[in-house]
Amino acid sequence: MRKGLSGVIMLMILTLVISACSNGNNAASTNAGASQSPAETQQPAAGEPKDGGSLIIGVASDPVVLNPNYAGDRVSLTIDQALYAPLFQVNNGEKTFYLAESLTPSADNLTYTLKLKDGLTWHDGEKLTADDVVFTIDSILDEKQNSFLRANFLIGDKAVKAVKVDDLTVEFQLPQVSPAFEATLVQVSPIPKHIFENETDLEKSTKNAAPVGSGPFKFKEYKAGEYLTLERFDNYFGGKPHLDSVTYRIAKDTNAANLALQNGEINVQYLDPKDVATIQATNNFEILPYSEGRLAYLMFNANSDTGALAKKEVRQALSLALSRDELIQTAYTSSEYADPAKSFLTPDALYFTNDVTTFDNDAAKAKELLAAAGESNLKLRYIVQSGNKAQEAISLYVQQKLKAAGVEVELQNMDSSAWVQKFIDLKSTDYELALTGYIMGYDPDAYRILFTTDSSSNYSHYSNSEVDKLMNDGAGEADPVKRADIYKQVQEIIAEDAPIYPIAYTKTVVAVSKNYGGIDEAVLKPVVIFEDLSKIYQK
Amino acid sequence: MRQLIVRRLLQTLPMLFFVSVVCFTMIKLAPGDPVLSFVTPNMHADDIERIRHNLGLDKPAYIQYFIWIKEMFRGNFGYSLINHQPVLGQILERLPATAGLMGSAIALAVILAIPLGLIAGANRNRWADKLINFISYVGISIPLFWLAILLMYLFAIKLHLLPSMGMRTIGVESPLDVLKHGILPCTVLAFGFLAGYVRYIRSSTIGQLKEEYVQIQYAFGSKKSTILFRHVLKHVLLPVITLLGMSMGDLVAGAIVTETVFSWPGIGSLGMTAVKGMDYPVIMGITLFSSLMLIVGNLAADILYSFVDPRIKLKG
Repeated sequence: MRKGLSGVIMLMILTLVISACSNGNNAASTNAGASQSPAETQQPAAGEPKDGGSLIIGVASDPVVLNPNYAGDRVSLTIDQALYAPLFQVNNGEKTFYLAESLTPSADNLTYTLKLKDGLTWHDGEKLTADDVVFTIDSILDEKQNSFLRANFLIGDKAVKAVKVDDLTVEFQLPQVSPAFEATLVQVSPIPKHIFENETDLEKSTKNAAPVGSGPFKFKEYKAGEYLTLERFDNYFGGKPHLDSVTYRIAKDTNAANLALQNGEINVQYLDPKDVATIQATNNFEILPYSEGRLAYLMFNANSDTGALAKKEVRQALSLALSRDELIQTAYTSSEYADPAKSFLTPDALYFTNDVTTFDNDAAKAKELLAAAGESNLKLRYIVQSGNKAQEAISLYVQQKLKAAGVEVELQNMDSSAWVQKFIDLKSTDYELALTGYIMGYDPDAYRILFTTDSSSNYSHYSNSEVDKLMNDGAGEADPVKRADIYKQVQEIIAEDAPIYPIAYTKTVVAVSKNYGGIDEAVLKPVVIFEDLSKIYQK
Repeated sequence: MRQLIVRRLLQTLPMLFFVSVVCFTMIKLAPGDPVLSFVTPNMHADDIERIRHNLGLDKPAYIQYFIWIKEMFRGNFGYSLINHQPVLGQILERLPATAGLMGSAIALAVILAIPLGLIAGANRNRWADKLINFISYVGISIPLFWLAILLMYLFAIKLHLLPSMGMRTIGVESPLDVLKHGILPCTVLAFGFLAGYVRYIRSSTIGQLKEEYVQIQYAFGSKKSTILFRHVLKHVLLPVITLLGMSMGDLVAGAIVTETVFSWPGIGSLGMTAVKGMDYPVIMGITLFSSLMLIVGNLAADILYSFVDPRIKLKG
């Protein structure tokens, strides 16, 4: 008995000794390469970035593939942003050139000439030239190569041609005028020809496991399920990055990730609005809400078997029964994390206006409209993703508000996979309402597939020949003034027809440790968090 | 003995086949589609169909199953539908992390459960028994993920004694570092089994204390602790071995939760990701692997049984 007890006590002591032994360097080890404590850090002169140190960014899963031609998930895109430099980026309509020095359309807008910067190199020291850009576009267009971006390079079913002019110049020849082409090119980050040119299947290539990019940080180490580390690329064309390394730490559980953030094991992390107060209370983090160019909306399925939502008046009446402000409060806790939405375009999009007809917060008028449309005892089915708190909260709100307008709503909870399957199936006719959202980029032409008749992502089955024509005209209109007029009209018509009920332009909230500077220069960016990690430094 | 082990292992083949059929059917009956992981609003329907075709997901379910089983016989578990990496490679890469976590959790649970169960059984209805029973009830009722968050908060945030997540400090390759990271997940996983084991050993001890050999030892003037740890323990160990074999299934389930919460890079967290993405080759691979572990675990328990008590002979 005594021996047994002493064994247990010994084990406990051993455990404590192990933790105590390592406790001396715990702060340093858990933060190895991460934020140093203020005492250890020499304060730089005010406003002067310091070199060295590293940053740990919390991510929710392992990356799927580290190749920008195939990255479709948030984590892969985020890591690729540091590994592979883009040609250029666009923020608020302004271009920032990265690999490219200029992009010039021809007088007839059918050719775009891209000039690369001189002296660009890949992480392995090879020169980055026009050959790499042409190879990248050709492999995107190659059907066998399975890139998600392929459709973007087809204009009117004809492919864009990329032609090398000289080592630093590429010409993109378009089959027809397409002002949205620049928005397509923004998504391209060249991949190295000398690495991939003999690969039969780029997506499955083992070379993706040790990526060679041209971004500010190069690949160092990946421990599946744990973390992926990148180290500084000294020859980065934008100047040597400040940080020695950036690590993406995989934390699948949100609660655990928040604790790791507080413990200094993670320095940057997405936050759910409900967790902001807890993290803010530590006083160690900058809380940065920023727009992701995302619209959250309630979708009206006009194709349901009851046919109820095919009537414009019914959709308008349902919109009138709801309150945008109450919905924002219900789903996002505060208007700080979501701006009221009226247009189908997001504020980052060209020609956006929120000055359109809106149906909001008028239950009496909603009842009148429903009566005028000949709808009484209307019953609607609302599909909800189980476990999605925002969806569940909004569905209950919608059910309650529509009941006040005399509409009965049946909530159908389902697993997220089943929900997505039903939602994206254009033949689904057994529901009327669903809450969803989209990020479509800055060019309004991208939204065409959501609102034109029989298009691939027209989930609400909206059809208006005037919109179809205007969207088609907008896609090929090179004059910005005429184009602006077209998309203003489209926004007004869609708002009036109410195929969706726009709720909010949602914001993403990111917590960044106060030990880091250069956040403004790095530019907070939808999906990938930072546009240029080379600008971040440790204070 | 060797013949018996080989025969028992061969018997697992039809069992694994049955498991694979059930698992595949369930995946195919479940709503969802792995291609959905790739779908973005600006993807064309043609692209979605092309990806589905390239992944072989447009073929009838039974054809997909036969392709999978054919590959299995070639020793190929297939490729993940999401990241296109070989399934077997991913499982083997993550196996050490899971084996280490499970092994240490079971060891910790047994090391603690034996003395606690013996003490509780020997002090029936006294304060020590009541205290241990109370802890057992708490252990059975407490959800693992909640306990994990609680311990993380206490030991990582408040006391700064241990790291809260992962298997190692970034860039550090040291067994001590892994050990330090393993303390919390191992404790959480062990706690789930500890309660059950303690209660089992307690009942077993109470039964053994009524046996004649114990009364004889008392009559010889042996001390209570000597009787418990030298004589009763031997008899109590047998059911514990059975219990260990039977625990393998729960162990796998517990590891999924624990690994996910602690970002422990094992098979459990890989499985969780695969289920979310409907990545059926990975789900199938992990299910078969877990079933094999369960079967081998039970066989190991039987073999161990015969070593602890040579009177028990293994029969195939």
